[in-house]
Amino acid sequence: MTKELALMRNIGISAHIDSGKTTLSERILFYCNRIHAIHEVHGKDGVGATMDSMDLERERGITIESAATSVSWKNHEINLIDTPGHVDFTIEVERSLRVLDGAILVLCSVGGVQSQSITVDRQMNRYKVPRIAFINKCDRTGANPYRVVDQLREKLFLNAVLMEIPIGLEDHLQGVVDLLRMKAVYFDGPNGEILREEEVPQELMGEALSRREELLDKASAFDDDMMELLLEGEDVPVEMVEKAIRRGTLSLQLCPVFLGSAHKNKGIQPLLDGVVKFLPDPTEVTNRALDMDNNESEVILRSDPAEPTVALAFKLTDGQYGQLTYIRVYQGHIRKGDELVNTRTRRRLRIGRLVKMHASEMEDISEAGCGDIAALFGIDCASGDTFCAPGLNYAMTSSYVPTPVISLAITPKDKKSADNMAKALNRFTKEDPTFQTYVDPESNQTIIKGMGELHLDVYVERMRREYKAEVEVGMPQVAYREAITRRAEFNYTHKKQTGGSGQFARVAGYIEPFTPGPEDEDREYRFVNEVKGGTIPTEFIPSCDKGFRTAMKKGPQLGFPIVGVVCCVNDGAWHPVDSSDMAFQTAALNAFREAFAQAGPAILEPIMKVEVESPSEFQGAIFGSINQRRGIIVSSTEDHSNCTIDAEVPLSEMFGYSTVLRSMSQGKAEFTMELDHYAKAPQSVSEQLKKEYEEKNKGK
Amino acid sequence: MQVNELISNSPIRVFEESINGGLGKGNIGVLASRHGIGKTACLVHIATDKLLQGQHLIHVSFSGNVEHVLNWYKEVFREISQYKSLDDAFAVYNTMRENRVVMNFSQENVSVDRIISSLSTLIRQGAFQADAVLFDGYHLTKATEEDVRKIKAFAQEMNIEVWFSVSPAVQGVGYDEFGVPETMAPLKDLIDVLVGLKYNEEKSKVIMTVVQDHHSRVSHPTGVTLDPRTMLITD
Repeated sequence: MTKELALMRNIGISAHIDSGKTTLSERILFYCNRIHAIHEVHGKDGVGATMDSMDLERERGITIESAATSVSWKNHEINLIDTPGHVDFTIEVERSLRVLDGAILVLCSVGGVQSQSITVDRQMNRYKVPRIAFINKCDRTGANPYRVVDQLREKLFLNAVLMEIPIGLEDHLQGVVDLLRMKAVYFDGPNGEILREEEVPQELMGEALSRREELLDKASAFDDDMMELLLEGEDVPVEMVEKAIRRGTLSLQLCPVFLGSAHKNKGIQPLLDGVVKFLPDPTEVTNRALDMDNNESEVILRSDPAEPTVALAFKLTDGQYGQLTYIRVYQGHIRKGDELVNTRTRRRLRIGRLVKMHASEMEDISEAGCGDIAALFGIDCASGDTFCAPGLNYAMTSSYVPTPVISLAITPKDKKSADNMAKALNRFTKEDPTFQTYVDPESNQTIIKGMGELHLDVYVERMRREYKAEVEVGMPQVAYREAITRRAEFNYTHKKQTGGSGQFARVAGYIEPFTPGPEDEDREYRFVNEVKGGTIPTEFIPSCDKGFRTAMKKGPQLGFPIVGVVCCVNDGAWHPVDSSDMAFQTAALNAFREAFAQAGPAILEPIMKVEVESPSEFQGAIFGSINQRRGIIVSSTEDHSNCTIDAEVPLSEMFGYSTVLRSMSQGKAEFTMELDHYAKAPQSVSEQLKKEYEEKNKGK
Repeated sequence: MQVNELISNSPIRVFEESINGGLGKGNIGVLASRHGIGKTACLVHIATDKLLQGQHLIHVSFSGNVEHVLNWYKEVFREISQYKSLDDAFAVYNTMRENRVVMNFSQENVSVDRIISSLSTLIRQGAFQADAVLFDGYHLTKATEEDVRKIKAFAQEMNIEVWFSVSPAVQGVGYDEFGVPETMAPLKDLIDVLVGLKYNEEKSKVIMTVVQDHHSRVSHPTGVTLDPRTMLITD
């Protein structure tokens, strides 16, 4: 069994949008004999790439949901996870990374390390995913893989090392030189499926030798024997170098770089060899779970099929046969008919049908072993749930979930749509934790929240297509926050005498801005009890805390949550008959509201880190557009005919920016954004927002 | 300490006195030395002083790594704000950030015309009213007289101060007694202030000398040196 595990790879492909991930996945499937014809993402044959299973993805040319698929390459089984590239869908990327043992970081040979590559790289570091890089699109005009390698070193601080150099570039790209074996490799046949090895072309010999030296030098840091051989000036066997590179890659201290062009069918097979040679098998990665029965202490999972089963549901999809749950088995194995427990709900479930996925086609299997990725039918769960063998109560560490920054009201057009919408929302919220929904008690409207305009757009679109739910969409709303800027005291007495037992409570203390330290788990609120001499009885202290928390849920300025406050009670009064939990809660709530008005209330708005990439000729227009949007230009980088502009812009000003940018750059510029921080909104903006809020509430 | 105290006590005031009260708008100033003396830190210190005074500036770099430049600013600010325990340092820094744009050219041998065109675009279309432009690592010694004249004209037209940090672009260049590379000689007539930086082993400090000050060609000490630890200008 262990031998089999050594032949397994769970890998993901992640990259900046349009670096050609989907095309690369498509080629990998082709060379591994999983599909019989190659379709292009933007293809004319109307079939589209096999990995993009949704119509919508085909239309937009982007991969929204990761599709897991198994292929075999030279006796190894590779489970491949295609991940979305747009920043709005990062939760998908993060969730995929969680279940991967290794990854291919795809870069464009022209664009190099772009904003999304940086985000993805940061995520890979968080989950300690060993990676190899693939510099794609070496056939494009302006291709410069050497510059991309420099960027990997400078921008991502990766110890990147070229395994190959290109033979020709741009339209002259013919093949690659394998630096390890010093052979020129050409890709013949209509789809590049026939490999032809030749001597290294004379004109590339110099470059190849110096790059090879660099490769050996970097690899030798991971093998003392190899270092010795090198120092003695002797030849180093290829296997030894490969072992050293593997060691370096697994310890995240080395990043082997491959190159080619997926579109032109060049350089894919050596990349697959690289996956097999340098990325870890499931036993080489330490996976941890939390033991819920033992105070959530960390336990290390063992890739042993004999151990009790632990599996993670990392993705749900809705197919024609009902819900499909993608799982990764971390320990033990899953067989048809097994009974497992969902750690979150404590519900038992029985494994009915077990399948292996190939994009949208499937293959029935009877058992999924340790380290395997498979899919289950008819299991009711949410993504991120852990399944354990009965008797075990482990939870896989919860994935990091960012908070939504934008919301949108949606109203179904008719009764049928309303039902379908409910179904769709139920599904989407299960699939994607960054997509949230609730019914606004005041307007009675359904509100959806997410990570950006495009993120919500895609879900509205999916409701229409997949669930036939026609909805009207309101204006996007920014998730503001309310805060205080200075300390304010309170001393509030709540008294009510309406026959029978009355209500009495007095609370005194102060509120002040909260600067959380590293030890603070709650970064937004801290409750401090400084009551001395029992002026408030101990039993009512939690009531005060609760009252403050209620007050902070909805700020008086805009109705958004209040953040960053220390609430301290230091005095009060009570009555033996009339004081109650309720009375103290009410007193604390009103005391907070009173103090809040005195504490320099402010409105915080989300500030987005925006990166625009464009041909230099539109630089001026882009500067202007950022300036108009209350943005700060942090930097601008020019490189030949392209420029990259980094800016910080308030989210509220970014609505519709994609359209504006497209029209002013003839569709040649693109941008990405993500939440950077919250900052105090300027006076004029705050005033306007408050006015609108008051107008809206006038009628009520 | 308040910001205005920090400004008035800054060693940069001493430095400015030594060059007749400062470089002045429309003029070109050059800090010249061999590699690795601390010109970048020195330039960023001058920039930070301007930012503290609420001025707007553009930092032009040629390294290809913007993050690196931003870190210099962070470091220099941290150094001076902590040393003088500046009040409300976080808010001050945020305002400074808003008034600074880093413009980076990663292409080798980018033309002066291209740089000037990008700067003008930022100032005009980006509505960024720059008071100063600082060039870090530009190979001024390789520039032609014509190039320097264009920069000077640009500085005058936009009414901005222009600072350069300069090291020789090629190896094997000689230096004068103040640390200025010989390759600077042909450009001396075109620039307004030239400051040489040279490491003095006895004092273990970098000595800054005014080699040329507006129209005067009489060299004299600046009254300030570079601290070899922080690379910042000190009294």
